[in-house]
Amino acid sequence: MSLIPMPVAELKALINKLRTFTKLCSEGMTLNILTHLLTVCLVFLFSAVVSWAADANSLIFQGADLHYRGNLEEAMASFQAAVKLEPRNEYAHNQLGIIYARKERFDDAFREFSLVASIDQQNTFALLWLGILNLQKNNLDKGYENFQKIIQADPDNADAYYYLGAIYNIRHNPAKAIEYLKKSRDADAKEADTHFRLGKAFRQVDMVKNAQLEYGRVLALNNSYSAARNEMGWLYYNAGDYAAAFAEWQMSLKTNPRDSDAIFSLARGYNEQAWKAYKKGNQQDASSYWKKVLTVDPENKAAKYYLGKQTK
Amino acid sequence: MDRRAFFHFSCRSLLYATVLCLSPRSLWGATAIECAFEGQNCIQRGEYDKAVISLQEAVRLDPGNDWAYGLLGRAYHGQGKNAEALAAFREAVRLNPDDTYSRMMSEIIAQKPVPRLKKESKSASPLEKEAAEEEAKMFNRLQAEEGLRYQVQRVVIDAGHGGFDPGAVGKTGLKEKDITLDIAKYLQQKLEGTGKKQAFLTRTDDYFVPLAERTVIANQYRADLFISLHINANPKQDPSGSETYFCSEQASSKEAARVAATENAVSKYDQPLKKKEGYIDVEDILFRFERKLYWDESGKFAKRFQDGIKNNLPLQSRGIHSADFSVLRKARMPAILIETGFISNPRDEANLAKAEFRTQIAQAIAGGIL
Repeated sequence: MSLIPMPVAELKALINKLRTFTKLCSEGMTLNILTHLLTVCLVFLFSAVVSWAADANSLIFQGADLHYRGNLEEAMASFQAAVKLEPRNEYAHNQLGIIYARKERFDDAFREFSLVASIDQQNTFALLWLGILNLQKNNLDKGYENFQKIIQADPDNADAYYYLGAIYNIRHNPAKAIEYLKKSRDADAKEADTHFRLGKAFRQVDMVKNAQLEYGRVLALNNSYSAARNEMGWLYYNAGDYAAAFAEWQMSLKTNPRDSDAIFSLARGYNEQAWKAYKKGNQQDASSYWKKVLTVDPENKAAKYYLGKQTK
Repeated sequence: MDRRAFFHFSCRSLLYATVLCLSPRSLWGATAIECAFEGQNCIQRGEYDKAVISLQEAVRLDPGNDWAYGLLGRAYHGQGKNAEALAAFREAVRLNPDDTYSRMMSEIIAQKPVPRLKKESKSASPLEKEAAEEEAKMFNRLQAEEGLRYQVQRVVIDAGHGGFDPGAVGKTGLKEKDITLDIAKYLQQKLEGTGKKQAFLTRTDDYFVPLAERTVIANQYRADLFISLHINANPKQDPSGSETYFCSEQASSKEAARVAATENAVSKYDQPLKKKEGYIDVEDILFRFERKLYWDESGKFAKRFQDGIKNNLPLQSRGIHSADFSVLRKARMPAILIETGFISNPRDEANLAKAEFRTQIAQAIAGGIL
């Protein structure tokens, strides 16, 4: 599809132009009011043009705008009208596919993306969604095939590499997961989920420095990504840096006090340290750790029992 | 003025003069907005090269001007430079998320392959250097196996009960917690003895580990398989034999559903995810897909273990069962619970008391993994 020279875009530019002109002539109050009135008229005209839109481009712009604003029903109607006028419009079909998926009409979504893929095998967006919907249907092999097709068409497609990496992550094949996720990361370093999955794959083969680096990148992109923080905690814990591990999990609890991973990781860590201290005869430390367990998991049977036993 | 200062002054003047001559600002005394207007006019005339120059100047003068970025995207698109156009449209959307046109254009362009823009190279941090060294060392070990077969390298073995919780107790005083720990240790030895698998225990001694922490341990070691060992009991003496459980959405029998319901009573932290209407989360799709695959794999492992026990031990097979066990559900890997006999049955109890029988159980389970 070429650039859409739709009237709405031009109108928008005109409005901006007038607004800027108003700014430039800040001393002219009358002019300011006049310009404002003109702007209102143009906005009115804009909505009138949009509501009477009869050409596919206008309908597509209208649909996109409605979709971004979360008005799925009306957006769907706009795109449906657009594809009637222009049955091979890939963008409109793709948008319809997304709207159907958002409305959990997965079969309809699948049909739209399949149609786009049949119009143009280079439409990697449609292929990507076909892959995702195949995974949603638990159809691993077909999903895998879709993602492979994308990287044949576009060897820089970060999303396709991501899903291939995720598939190998899930099949617990860390070497292949690392191979694909690194390609995804190199194509787009701003995706926290890619760094997170890559971190997990590295941890699976004990490449702790690489795992640490990737989890750090996740947190640099999104500081409240507690799953990465919890994983970082285990990196520290397994390396014997218990204080750093506990600090990470506590930080996760600050973000989400009901984060069960953080709660049970802390409980597990404190319980283990308590048991070690207890075996060494260091009752005070053991007691202190069991008390800590109860601060995060008040019903923890182990901590309750052993603390009770100590006080007796 | 010394010669060096004079030289500097001359060079700077020349530089400024050149910049002024080249810059649209010098031509029109323009501000960012005016440059953007000029760019827009050029776009309308189809003069995309000129438009790009004006609009680059506009965004240089005002890097927060989303309108100029949107126009720059259009100008690049007109030149057929899709990677640059995409970057400009995306910047426009970043600056103004309500810019429908730029957002739509970025989506239209991104539907199809877009060449990658050159990235700025930056020097590596100390951690990045350490990571690169680690990767170089690991390169040979990381020879990947092709295909989508589920791979098992690390196993977490959970000896049921422990400490103040003896589990089921036989007539002779035999305790479930001691048998499970013994079998777990044998199984660990068998797996590690191959030199190809790593095995970890949820407890190595006679102490209690809460249920929720057992799967946390599996996640701690990023295990590929979680095996929980238990011994069954019944108020009657007759029931005997082994059975294997795994997690699934639907219970395979009323009894399995009852067992799962009893166990699930402990989970109070995990509330079911409230789905936002009209919102699609691809990570959630991946999560559900992952869980379903783990459950499928659990079923395969359960069958292998149960067959191994049935074929190698004098234990009646009570089959494999499935239900939605919250403890197994929390594991991010296939997870299986094996009941290796009834301690309440005199014959089973007599067998379970023998070290040789326990090693045979461990051997049968290991056979399902190796």
